[in-house]
Amino acid sequence: MDIASLVLQFGSTAAFLLLSAVGLAVIFGMMGVVNLAHGELIMLGAYGTCLSYSHGLPLAAAMICGVGLATLAGMILEATIIRRLYGRPAESLVVTWAVGLIVSQGTLIILGPSLPSIPTPFGSFVLGTKSFSAYRIVLIAASVLSLLAVHFLLKRTRFGLHARATMQNPEIARAIGIDNAKIYRWTFALGSALAGVTGALYAPTMSIVPTMGGSFIVQAFVTVVTGGGNLLYGTLPAASGLGFIQTALTAAFGNLLGVLGLLAAVIVSAGVLPNGLAYYLSGKRVS
Amino acid sequence: MKSILHLLEGDQTLGRGPRFWCTALVVLVGALVFGGLASSFAVDTASYFLVWVFMALGLALMWGLSGTLSFGQTAFFGLGGYCYAIVATNFGPDNGLTLVALLLSVFLVAVIAAIVGLFMFFGGARGVFVSIITLAISLSLETFLSQTAGPQWKLGSALIGGFNGITSMPPITIPWFGSDYEVTGRAFYYAIVAVLVLTYLALRIVGNSRFGDAMVAVRENPRRAEALGYNVKAVLLAAFVLGSSLAGVSGVAFTTWGLYVSPDTMGLAAAAMPIVWTAVSGKDLTATFIGTILLLALSQTLAIYGSQYAYVALGVVLIASVLTCPEGIVEKAMRLSLSQSGPGNKVRTTSRARWRNA
Amino acid sequence: MKRKAGMLADHCSGLPRWIQRVAISVAFIGNVAVAHAAEPIKIGLLEDETGILAQGGTPKIHGARLAVEEINAAGGVLGRKLDLIVYDAQSDNRRYQELARRLISNDKVDVLMGGLTSASRVALQPIAERAKVLYFYNNEYEGGVCDKNVVITGSSPDQYQAVVPWMIKNVGKKVYTIAADYNFGQTLGLWVKKLVKESGGTLVGEEYIPLSVSQFSQTISNIEAAKPDWVFTAMVGSNQVSYFQQASAAGLNLPMASPINGTLLYEHKQLPPPVMANMYLGVNYMEELKTPENAEFVKRWHAKFPKEPYINQPAVDSYIGVKLYAKAVEAAGTPEREAVINAIETKDICVDSPEGKLCFDKPTHHVSHPIHIMKVEKDHSVTTVADLGVMPPVWLHEKGCDLAKNPQSTQFTPN
Repeated sequence: MDIASLVLQFGSTAAFLLLSAVGLAVIFGMMGVVNLAHGELIMLGAYGTCLSYSHGLPLAAAMICGVGLATLAGMILEATIIRRLYGRPAESLVVTWAVGLIVSQGTLIILGPSLPSIPTPFGSFVLGTKSFSAYRIVLIAASVLSLLAVHFLLKRTRFGLHARATMQNPEIARAIGIDNAKIYRWTFALGSALAGVTGALYAPTMSIVPTMGGSFIVQAFVTVVTGGGNLLYGTLPAASGLGFIQTALTAAFGNLLGVLGLLAAVIVSAGVLPNGLAYYLSGKRVS
Repeated sequence: MKSILHLLEGDQTLGRGPRFWCTALVVLVGALVFGGLASSFAVDTASYFLVWVFMALGLALMWGLSGTLSFGQTAFFGLGGYCYAIVATNFGPDNGLTLVALLLSVFLVAVIAAIVGLFMFFGGARGVFVSIITLAISLSLETFLSQTAGPQWKLGSALIGGFNGITSMPPITIPWFGSDYEVTGRAFYYAIVAVLVLTYLALRIVGNSRFGDAMVAVRENPRRAEALGYNVKAVLLAAFVLGSSLAGVSGVAFTTWGLYVSPDTMGLAAAAMPIVWTAVSGKDLTATFIGTILLLALSQTLAIYGSQYAYVALGVVLIASVLTCPEGIVEKAMRLSLSQSGPGNKVRTTSRARWRNA
Repeated sequence: MKRKAGMLADHCSGLPRWIQRVAISVAFIGNVAVAHAAEPIKIGLLEDETGILAQGGTPKIHGARLAVEEINAAGGVLGRKLDLIVYDAQSDNRRYQELARRLISNDKVDVLMGGLTSASRVALQPIAERAKVLYFYNNEYEGGVCDKNVVITGSSPDQYQAVVPWMIKNVGKKVYTIAADYNFGQTLGLWVKKLVKESGGTLVGEEYIPLSVSQFSQTISNIEAAKPDWVFTAMVGSNQVSYFQQASAAGLNLPMASPINGTLLYEHKQLPPPVMANMYLGVNYMEELKTPENAEFVKRWHAKFPKEPYINQPAVDSYIGVKLYAKAVEAAGTPEREAVINAIETKDICVDSPEGKLCFDKPTHHVSHPIHIMKVEKDHSVTTVADLGVMPPVWLHEKGCDLAKNPQSTQFTPN
C-alpha cells in the first residue's frame, strides 16, 4: 500500500462526501428543511452542464450553466412550495420527496433515459507506480474551496450575518429589520447553487441518467446529520471522518466493507454523539 | 360494552360514539362480504393492500404518538419477511410449523428492535438522529443481503439468495385432519382482515391508555415528562418496539402473500413509503389505516393506466394534499365529518426544538 | 346465431328431422369455432419503462411490439391475432408481483413475459407456476435455470462466457475480475475462475462492488497494482457504469472483456471515446452485428422507433421471445400451456431473427444462440473479431437438465 495512493483515495472519498453534503448542510443544517429533492438538484446541475457542453460550450462555461439551472430550479421550488414548509420538517420531507419524483421522472420523459457523457478533462499523471486522474485533484480542491467559500460568506459578509441571525431567532431578526422571507429565499438559492456545483463538477466522471441523484442523496444526509448544523465544525469533520473510515476499510477489505463500515460509523456516531459532531467540536456553539 | 368502547375511545384517536362505530361495523361487514363475492383477483389485490397497513399503523403509533420518526420500518419489514422465509423453508409446511415460523419472526423482530432501541434511546439519540440511524440500518441490511448470493450463504436448508431473494417458501399452512389447509387466496384475505381488525382495536386501546398519555407527554415536552416522573427512554423504547414489531408483521404477511422476499424491500425509496403514507393520511390510527389503502390503490392505478406519467401524477397528488391539508388529508376529512374538536393528535412541534424533534 | 339457425332450418325443412338437428348442431359448433378463432392470443408483458432500469427496459417493450406487429401482419398465429398487454413495472419487484397477478387473473393472458433482473424473474416464477401460466424470461442472465414452467430466450454464461477463453488465448493470461456484488456479478466471477483455470490462465485479482457505489479510485488503484493483461467487467447499473470513465481518466488503458458492458446500457454510445476502447464483448446480439438479416432489422426498428438511442441485446431477446412463442403455439396447434411446453421439448421450433436462424434447445427450454466476439474500437465503432458459431447451453446438459424426462424447478450454480 503506498501512502500517496492512500492519501489520494482518502481525499477523493472525503471530497465526494463533502460536495454531496455542502448544499444540504446549508438547507437542512441552517433552515431545518428536509430537502429530499437535493439529489435532483445535483442531477440538474449535471444535466445543465451536459446539455450546454453538447451544444458547443467549453466545459467551464457549461458548468456555470449547470449551476445556473440548479439555482433557478431551487429558487422556483422555494417560491412555490418550500416557503410554506418552514419549521415543518415532516411535511417538507414528503413534499420534497414528491418534488424529486416529479423532477427525475419529468427529466426521463423529456430528455430520455440517458445523455451522452462528458470526457473527463486534464488527463492523468503518474505517481510512483500508479497513474491517477488529474481531475481528482480538482475535485478535492473544489470541495475544500466551496466549503471555505460558504464559511466565509456566512461569517464575514452582511448577508451571512443576517442569515445566521434569522436562523437563530427569526422573530428578533425581524424586529431589528431583517427581511426573513428574503433571507430564506437567498439561503435556499445558495444551497441549490451548491448542489448545482456538485452536479456540474461530477458530471465528467459519471454516467448521466435522470436517477443519478440517488448516488449522492444518502451520502449527503448521513454526512450532514452526523456533522450537525455547523459547516466548519460539523460537515467538514464528518466528511473527513466518514471518508477516512470508508477509505481505510475499502483499501484493506474491499468495497462491501467500505460501504457497510461507513453506515456502521454513522450509526455509532449518531448514537454516541446524538447532537452532531459540531456540538462537541465547537464548544457548544451553534451555527 | 360501554367499558370496551370507553377503552377504545379517547383523545389520542379520532372517532367516537355510536355513529362512528356503526360506520366501522358496516365497513367491516362490507369487507367480509367482498371477500366472498368479489373476483379472486380483486380479493388478492385487496389482501396485498392490507398487508402494508400493519407497518403504517406501527409508524402512526411511533411517530404520531411518541414523536419518533423511524426510517427503519422497512428494515424490520425485511427482517420479519426473511425470518419467516428461512424458518418456514427449514421446517416445512407440516405440523403447523409455519405458524411457529410466523410467531418466531415477529418475536425476533421485537427483540432486534429492542436492542436497536436500547442503543438509540438510552444513548440519547432523538429526532433526526433516530431517523438517520434507522435509515442507515435499512441500507446496511439491503447492501449486506444483496451480496449473499452464493451457495455458501445458507441457514439450514434455506439459501439466502442475495439480490434474487428467497422464493417458494410454504405459505401459512394450518394442520387439519386429512390434508393440511394452505392459507392463500380468500382464506388469506379473511385471515389478514381478522388480524388487522384485532391489531387496530388493540392499538386504539394502547393509544388511549395511560401509556398512550405517557407517549404524548414525551413527544410534547420530554423534559417536563421526565420531571413529572415518566421514564422517557423506556416510553420511547416501548413505542419503538411495538411500532417496529408491526412492521415485522407486515413483512411476514407480504412474504406469505407473494411467496417471495428480497433485499430491495429495504432500500431508500421503500423506506420513505410508510412515512409518505402516514404524513399524507394523517398520523391518527384510523386516518393512516384508510389513507394507506387509498394511496396504495392510487399508485397501482397510476402504474396501470398512467404509463410514464404515473410517478409525475403521484408526485403532484402528494404535494397538493400535503400543502392543502398539512395534518393529513384523510385526517382532515375525518375531523370534518366527525365534527370532533379537542386535542386529538398534535402534529406541530416548536421550530426552536429543531434538532431534538423530527 | 339464432338467425342463422333459423335460416338453416328453412333450407332444411324438407329433410328428415335428425339430419336437421345435426345440421343445426354443426352450424352452432362452426359458429362457436369461428368466434373462438377470432379471439386473440394474449401475451402479458411486464418491463421497466420508468425507474432506475428504464434505460435497459424500454427497448424490450419495443422489441415485443415490433414482433407482434410483424406476426399479425403476416396473418397471426393459428388464424388468431396476437394481443400484447404491457404494464410498466417501474423497476420495482413489488409491482412485478402485483401486475403479474393482474395480467393472469384479470386480463387472462395465455403467456407471461418479462423481467430484466433475475430478481424480477424469481419474483414472477412462483406466481406463474401457481396460476399454471407459462413464463418467458427474455434477458441474458447468470445461467443455470432448469424449470418446467420457464422459457429463457436470453443467453447464459455457458454461451457468452466463451469470451474468456478467447481473451486468454488472444490477449493475455492474467485476468482481473471486477463485478457487481450480487447474484449476477458473483456467478459470472465464478465462471471466470472456472474458465481461467481450464484455459491455463491466472486470476490475479477479483473485486465485487455493491450496486450503490459510484466512485472507483480504490478499485482502479488495485487493478494497477495487480498488473493484469486484461480486465473482466460485469458492472451493472448506471452507478457502476461510471467506472469506465474514471478508469480511462486515470490512464488505465487495459483491454477489457464483458458480456454486458456494451450490450445492456450501450456504454459505447453513452460514454465519450476512447473510454470503452479495447472492450471485447461476448454476445448473441449487438446492433452493430453484420448479418444480412440484421441490416434489414435495424432499418425496420429505427423506422418504427425513431427516438431509440440503441437496440440493446435484451430488446432483441424480447423480439425473438415473442416470435419463438408464436412458432411454438403454431407447432402445438393451441396456446394451451401443456401443449406448448410439449412442442418446445419435442419439436424443432426455429425462427428467423436478426441473429440468423434461432432454435430452441429442447431439453432445457433455452435457445441455442450464435455467439460472437465483438470489439469496441478507439472511436467506439464496433467490429466483429470472431464468430464462435451456434452454441447450445451445454453446461445445463452436463448438469442433467432434461425437462421432458425430468421436470423440475431448480437453478444450478458453478462450484
